Amino acid sequence: MLTLKEVKAAIAFDQPKLRATAADRRILVEGSYLVSERDVVAAPDGPIAEFNIRMELPDLYPRREPKVFEVGGRIPRNPDRHINPDGDCCVTVWENWLAASRDHSFGSFLKGPLSEYFLGQFWFEKTGKWPFGERPHGLKGLEEAYADALGIANKRESLLYHLRLLSQDWPKGHWPCPCGSGKALRRCHHQDLMAMHRRVPPDIARRMLLRLDPKN
Amino acid sequence: MTMHDKRLAKTHDDILEAMAEALAIPPSKLEEARSRYEAIGNWLDRPESTLADYDPAISPQGSFLLGTVTRPLTDAEEYDVDLVCRLNATKAEFTQKSLKDAVGYEVGLYAKAHGMTKPDDGRRCWTLNYAAGAQFHMDILPALPDAQRYQTKLLAEGYRTLAHDSALSGHAIAITDKTLPHYDQPTEDWPQSNPTGYGAWFRNRMLVQLTESKKAFAKRERITASVDEIPDYKVKTPLQRAVQLLKRHRDCMFAEDCEHKPISIIITTLSAHAYNEETTISGALQSILTVMDRYIEDRGGAAWVANPVNPAENFADKWAEEPKKSENFDRWLGQARQDFALYLRANAFDKVPELLREHLGPQLVDRAMAAVLPVAAAGLAAPAIITSAARAEDVDRAQHAVDQINRAGPQSKPWARS
Repeated sequence: MLTLKEVKAAIAFDQPKLRATAADRRILVEGSYLVSERDVVAAPDGPIAEFNIRMELPDLYPRREPKVFEVGGRIPRNPDRHINPDGDCCVTVWENWLAASRDHSFGSFLKGPLSEYFLGQFWFEKTGKWPFGERPHGLKGLEEAYADALGIANKRESLLYHLRLLSQDWPKGHWPCPCGSGKALRRCHHQDLMAMHRRVPPDIARRMLLRLDPKN
Repeated sequence: MTMHDKRLAKTHDDILEAMAEALAIPPSKLEEARSRYEAIGNWLDRPESTLADYDPAISPQGSFLLGTVTRPLTDAEEYDVDLVCRLNATKAEFTQKSLKDAVGYEVGLYAKAHGMTKPDDGRRCWTLNYAAGAQFHMDILPALPDAQRYQTKLLAEGYRTLAHDSALSGHAIAITDKTLPHYDQPTEDWPQSNPTGYGAWFRNRMLVQLTESKKAFAKRERITASVDEIPDYKVKTPLQRAVQLLKRHRDCMFAEDCEHKPISIIITTLSAHAYNEETTISGALQSILTVMDRYIEDRGGAAWVANPVNPAENFADKWAEEPKKSENFDRWLGQARQDFALYLRANAFDKVPELLREHLGPQLVDRAMAAVLPVAAAGLAAPAIITSAARAEDVDRAQHAVDQINRAGPQSKPWARS
């Protein structure tokens, strides 16, 4: 369970223009997010950029995704800028980050995806390019991100099948191997799938599956 | 000084260094204090001294030993020079009272011979007051060597490593306290203190940067002396600078409430714990202000700032009975963190936020800034120039930040829900 103390400790020195308060089953973080270089305590010219934000952190973070809003109007409300009309920032595909990163603390989110998102926004302002790439909108983006997280080719049927296998606490060895050889998993790519299972644990795989195909 | 020989600041650290320099004791004052306490030492050890047989030795303790002295807040206040007067004698030869009186007698004679007022008889110390212009007083702590008993106690409490480290526990002393019932009786269980051990611990926490600072000093002054030959007081490490700035911040913040302000030994101890040999003052402040409170232990519900050379001693022992002290520490740390972070993280080096300026003393900050910034920076035109120049460089810095992330592997890509 995320605590106000943990959030305050994460922003205390590094983000002195943010304020955290506890509200009904969530923590609100508001103020100016400073974009700076890594490992630089004090840049002589000050931060590279500042974005006015409001962040809503559910108490079930990191199981539940934080919401980040840009409230200063600096980012044009245009889906191509990866922002919704209400200022809701599409920072990253959450499950992809959960699978790709080991440290899911709030501090790690602040220094990782959030920093990359706002540095990216500044970079796009200046150059018209996304420095770390971008995902397609909607379902296509989800599929691409999940395929990346699993390390497999981005084909929907294969992705869904992998995720069904990975959703099991103990993937069934008699199911057909996802490689399409027709052999049982236990006689084919069992080792590879178990390595993937460690990287993308069942709870994350189940949520990926649910978002890709709500019928599941 | 002309514009040409001014060393202009280019970074936050240049400004912090200038501020720390401005709030440190001036070298001439330090030299004066040093020569005065040496004079007292010589007096106590003169042939006709009643203490001469006991080889009395005077040495500094506290901030004078640690190199973290800060100027008093106003010219009317004085530097408090804490000294230990150690006699080479045993508790068989003295009671606490007779030791206090014996040292007091000689300190009194010294005062008389130099036309000074009679020394004040404190709970543990004699206070020697100089003429108003001197701007300091000396607190002289009568003491006897008492390392063996100190180390035995450490062993009994389970602190084996400390007990066997002669630098940390081999110079412990027995001191006097006139409020104790057995003050005038021959006993073994005198109060103890270990300022030299604490000084060694503090020095150890910054040993790498102390050596580096001395090397840099030798190079700058073009002297060929080895690092060991350069006295510690000639240089300042980022830890010492940070402690000075934090103490000053505390002094200004609690100018109206001296009684309950966070005490220097707590700030110093927690800072030294949190310091990790950072090479800059800004880096030291970042580490210290981020984690210093994690070194406050919870022992059975009591906040405990352990004396690093005697962990059974709690520097925060007053917090339990006076909660205001603990609240003030939290309030101070929160404010110091905010003030320094806002300057370091959110501002250009030549823009000191108003609250930090206020909490370090506006006059001191302005003086320090004027000494290291071009005169024009104080005018109206300069900020605009600096800002536009900075903007041109922002993209270069962003490029650098992007490269850093690409090297480490980015963790995310922006997306859009619909």
